[in-house]
Amino acid sequence: MKDVQANSIKEAWIISLILGFIMINFPFIHIFNSADPVLGIPKIVLYFFIGWPSSIAVIWFFVRSSKDKPLDKQTVTED
Amino acid sequence: MISAQTILFISLGYFALLFLVALFAEKCRRTGTCLLKNSHIYSLSLAVYCTSWTFYGSVGKAATSGLEFLPIYLGPTLIAFTWWFLLRKMVLISKQQNITNIADFLSSRYDRSTVLGAIVTLFAVFGITPYIALQLKAIAHTLEILSSQISVQQDSLNTYASNLPSNIDMAFFVALLLALFGILFGARTLDSSEKHEGLVVAVAFESLVKLIAFIAVGIFVTYGLFDGFVDIFQRFQEQFPERSDLLLLGTEQTPYTKWFTLIILSMMAVMFLPRQFHIMITENTNEQHIKSAMWKFPAYLFLINLFVLPIALGGLIINGGDTSQADYFVLTLPLSTGHPWLALLVFIGGLSASAGMVMVSSVALATMILNHLVMPIILKMNIKALNISGFLINIKRLGIIVVIFIGYFYFKIIGDSYALVNMGLISFAAVTQFAPAVIGGLFWKRANRKAAITGISCGFAIWFYTLLIPAFVRSGWFSSDILENGPYGISLLNPLELFGLYGFDIYTHSLFWSMLFNFAAYLTISFYARQSDDEAIQAAKFVDVFEIEPGYPEKLTRISKAPTIMEFIEFMSKLIGEKAAQRAITEYLSHQDIDTRGSLSDHEIPNLKSFTERTLAGHVGAAPARIILENYLSARGSEMEDVFDIFGTVTINHASSREQLSVLYDTAQIVSSGEDFQKTLDNILELLAQQFKFDLCVIRFLEPESTTLIVKSLIGESSDHFGQFERNLNMETYIGQTFLSNVTTVVNDTEFIDKPLSAQHIKRDKVTCLAHTPIVSNGEPIGVLSAFSKTAKGIFTEEFIALFENIAAQICIAWRNDQQLQKLLQVREQEREMQIAKDIQKGLLPANLPQLDNIAVAGLCVPAHQVGGDYYDFIERDNATYDLIIADVSGHSIGSALIMAETRTFIHARMESTKRPADMLQELNAYFLKDLDRSELFVTMFYLQYNPVNHRLIYSNAGHNTPLLWKKQTQQILTLDGEGLIFGIKRDISFEQKAIDLEPGDVLLLYTDGIIEAESKDGIFFGIERLEKLVAEYSDSEPDELIDQIMTQVRIFTGMRHFNDDVTMVVMNVLK
Repeated sequence: MKDVQANSIKEAWIISLILGFIMINFPFIHIFNSADPVLGIPKIVLYFFIGWPSSIAVIWFFVRSSKDKPLDKQTVTED
Repeated sequence: MISAQTILFISLGYFALLFLVALFAEKCRRTGTCLLKNSHIYSLSLAVYCTSWTFYGSVGKAATSGLEFLPIYLGPTLIAFTWWFLLRKMVLISKQQNITNIADFLSSRYDRSTVLGAIVTLFAVFGITPYIALQLKAIAHTLEILSSQISVQQDSLNTYASNLPSNIDMAFFVALLLALFGILFGARTLDSSEKHEGLVVAVAFESLVKLIAFIAVGIFVTYGLFDGFVDIFQRFQEQFPERSDLLLLGTEQTPYTKWFTLIILSMMAVMFLPRQFHIMITENTNEQHIKSAMWKFPAYLFLINLFVLPIALGGLIINGGDTSQADYFVLTLPLSTGHPWLALLVFIGGLSASAGMVMVSSVALATMILNHLVMPIILKMNIKALNISGFLINIKRLGIIVVIFIGYFYFKIIGDSYALVNMGLISFAAVTQFAPAVIGGLFWKRANRKAAITGISCGFAIWFYTLLIPAFVRSGWFSSDILENGPYGISLLNPLELFGLYGFDIYTHSLFWSMLFNFAAYLTISFYARQSDDEAIQAAKFVDVFEIEPGYPEKLTRISKAPTIMEFIEFMSKLIGEKAAQRAITEYLSHQDIDTRGSLSDHEIPNLKSFTERTLAGHVGAAPARIILENYLSARGSEMEDVFDIFGTVTINHASSREQLSVLYDTAQIVSSGEDFQKTLDNILELLAQQFKFDLCVIRFLEPESTTLIVKSLIGESSDHFGQFERNLNMETYIGQTFLSNVTTVVNDTEFIDKPLSAQHIKRDKVTCLAHTPIVSNGEPIGVLSAFSKTAKGIFTEEFIALFENIAAQICIAWRNDQQLQKLLQVREQEREMQIAKDIQKGLLPANLPQLDNIAVAGLCVPAHQVGGDYYDFIERDNATYDLIIADVSGHSIGSALIMAETRTFIHARMESTKRPADMLQELNAYFLKDLDRSELFVTMFYLQYNPVNHRLIYSNAGHNTPLLWKKQTQQILTLDGEGLIFGIKRDISFEQKAIDLEPGDVLLLYTDGIIEAESKDGIFFGIERLEKLVAEYSDSEPDELIDQIMTQVRIFTGMRHFNDDVTMVVMNVLK
């Protein structure tokens, strides 16, 4: 069976993975590569410690929203 | 101050607590509340990833190399994005195949290869046991720091130890305790696929403890010793401006390439380290846990890293920049600032980190060793012990002890070497070598056994050469010459600058070369080597695990001389113990249909066989399981045989709901109702539309010898574009794709569709979801069943699709019935026509031979089939002579009958003009020459003319059997013959005409070859002699009676009522 919806969820995960991979690697990371303090904390450290929980939040959001998809839950007879 | 006794007491107390937690978990399971059903426990247990290397080492790394500690935790966060399809796939496969470790996984995917399993196990043991040593070392070392700094009597711990032999220390006892824990909670039974609640819950508990301890010390340093994060960073940058590199990337310490490498290594390690595999996959109880772990595990990693930099930088500030004790800042900072109880909590946290890793790794490695190193040897030795289950479980337990104590001896012997200290990353790089084979094996069916073995072996060879050899050299075990000039002075082979690649750190260098060779070998050999059928099916089971319909032809097999259920149990008992075997089979049988005699059907036995194999795989690994079972079956003389599936695809398991079954039952009723085909289809669609409130249901069939699907039945509203039109077959539309790929297509929400051509129609008709399933006969699609809804979305669940496909299968049955009916009607029509032909042909023969004064004549023609090619005739001429004709057209077909009719017509037409037999034959030959040549038939004929006045018989022969003449006077049989060929061979043939005078009492018999060539059962012909004898014997009888006698005798001779050839006879008696 080919399910378009399942595929689109999978694609979203893969795109996030690639984006995440780019954002913590050279050359992107080079933008933030500075020990100068921003709000008293070195820029690169701040970048990671804001970016990291953000990506966890993204996963949390994805997981939560994919739960509500009818794919797994709804049964035919309910219709 | 805390005494050494207290430390010892608390440590032992903590271990006791772990045992209690584990026991509690096991007890919960027995009472029916499985703690593993809790997703928090699954997520927490995954944190076994964080060992003492994290707990103490991260701070050390941060203090000496800066941000380099981070990628080890960023990588797992990234890879968590893939878990919903990657990890879930691995979990599902492992559950289906009873896979319990990474070696099993690879071996099972690649043709259940024993060699691959052994290689992976060897490498894993080689790469991981030093890592265990590292954990033991951390415990021993922290204990030493703790006791030397906080206890009043400095060497009081040593006083406890002094009673022991000198070479035994605390680490030895810790190792012993961990081994005991592993055996009790990780190897109670042989079945590794069973869940180990005790082990997992204890590990989850430890994860919680280490997190709390680390955060406690983090808060203490950040807010107790300093004034928050900002204060630490500010003071660090003021005091050590020259060390600002620690807070940067792309430095000499942490180049971007190394950063990249570490992210890759950690991404792979978190998936493929044996302990991670064990916790993530083997101990997973619910795939929904993966969803929550996807964010909880990264969140755990984030929290445990939050205070790494503050502690590291704070430690540097407090210690005046001294990094010699940086690895243990977590412990020494509370100690040196007078907080021994906090230090003790930290110690317990570190102990948890080490213990968790050692416990899980040892269990995972012991299972791998048993399945992939010990079992193959046992199989080779062909041990025929009655019951080896007890023996096997003890080997597994021994394996746990051996693994932990190899680690212990590593630590004792090479405890401070460079090789051991860097073992963490080296083992990450080792398991990264599994990545191509595992990931490729999950998504690429062509990937094969040879490719995986070669790829992994190449990867490990290079890993060994570029990482371990340098580590050995730096530990001082090899001469450093090899790192400077290369082996034997060949600089191209320098392990640090292989093939002249320089300028990279040791890990990047090693990862690049090992992965290059690993991937290259894996891809190339996968492309060129062929898979066996068995391997291909196994590969498909992995790649298509999410598919509802298997993407491989499910070969139906049966086992000849199959073992009975009892024999299967007996066989399994020997290997896994009687209890486990009984339980497994009972569980299996509860899901099977058992026939009235209480046994399984022929078709179920192969399933029982694969179930047995999977069960064994859970105990001894996939490769040994297959070998054991195959040996057992072949020893019994049982063999797998293919079976033709006469039931097509009509299967549904008993798990389906009542409603679905009732729909299926109704469909079956419609199919068997005997309505005509069109009505049947209409009724099925009506049922489908009613039951599921579809707006449109369509059945299309492929028009013969075209590429168009024609609407055969349709229910519901439809515009011209949608339901009514025929569809050309191509992959541009969903229906075309369904038909061509022979796979059900479902679009649960038409907002997301990837086919523009279909999108046009769908949008116009406002369809919200749709499903197409092929109608398949003997594996070939013949049509498509479609259902559309304009209101609902996402109604096509997996169960519904199973039902939908079953209805398509019922439609196929209706179609087959219809086809058979049509064929039957066709045959009947033909039969009717043949009957007409038969009647006509019968009419062509003389119906009643005339009763004459001077002769008596009788004739008989019995065709072998409905129509035949034999012909006889009796014609009275005007001049009172009689013509007697017998002919035989070859064959028994309609063609023969037509030629026979033509012959008759010709003779009757020429009766007036052609007087003499020879002339008649000549004319017939000329006439038939063309016709016979075209139809490849031939005709033989004997033509006689009798004149009762002068008793003269003249005759000519065209290659026919020579008639017999009984001369009453001489009591002899004569044969009448004349020169002449059969018709249809040559244009100008002269037929000889002979004459003979008859006398009263003479009997003439004309016959065709059906008489003399009638065969007895022994293959003997009836022959002329027997016929002559009969004529002589019954020469006084009436012609009818003679014919009857001959027929009776021939029937007696052949033993059959029926003749294989047409039989024709004409008898003439001369009366006066």
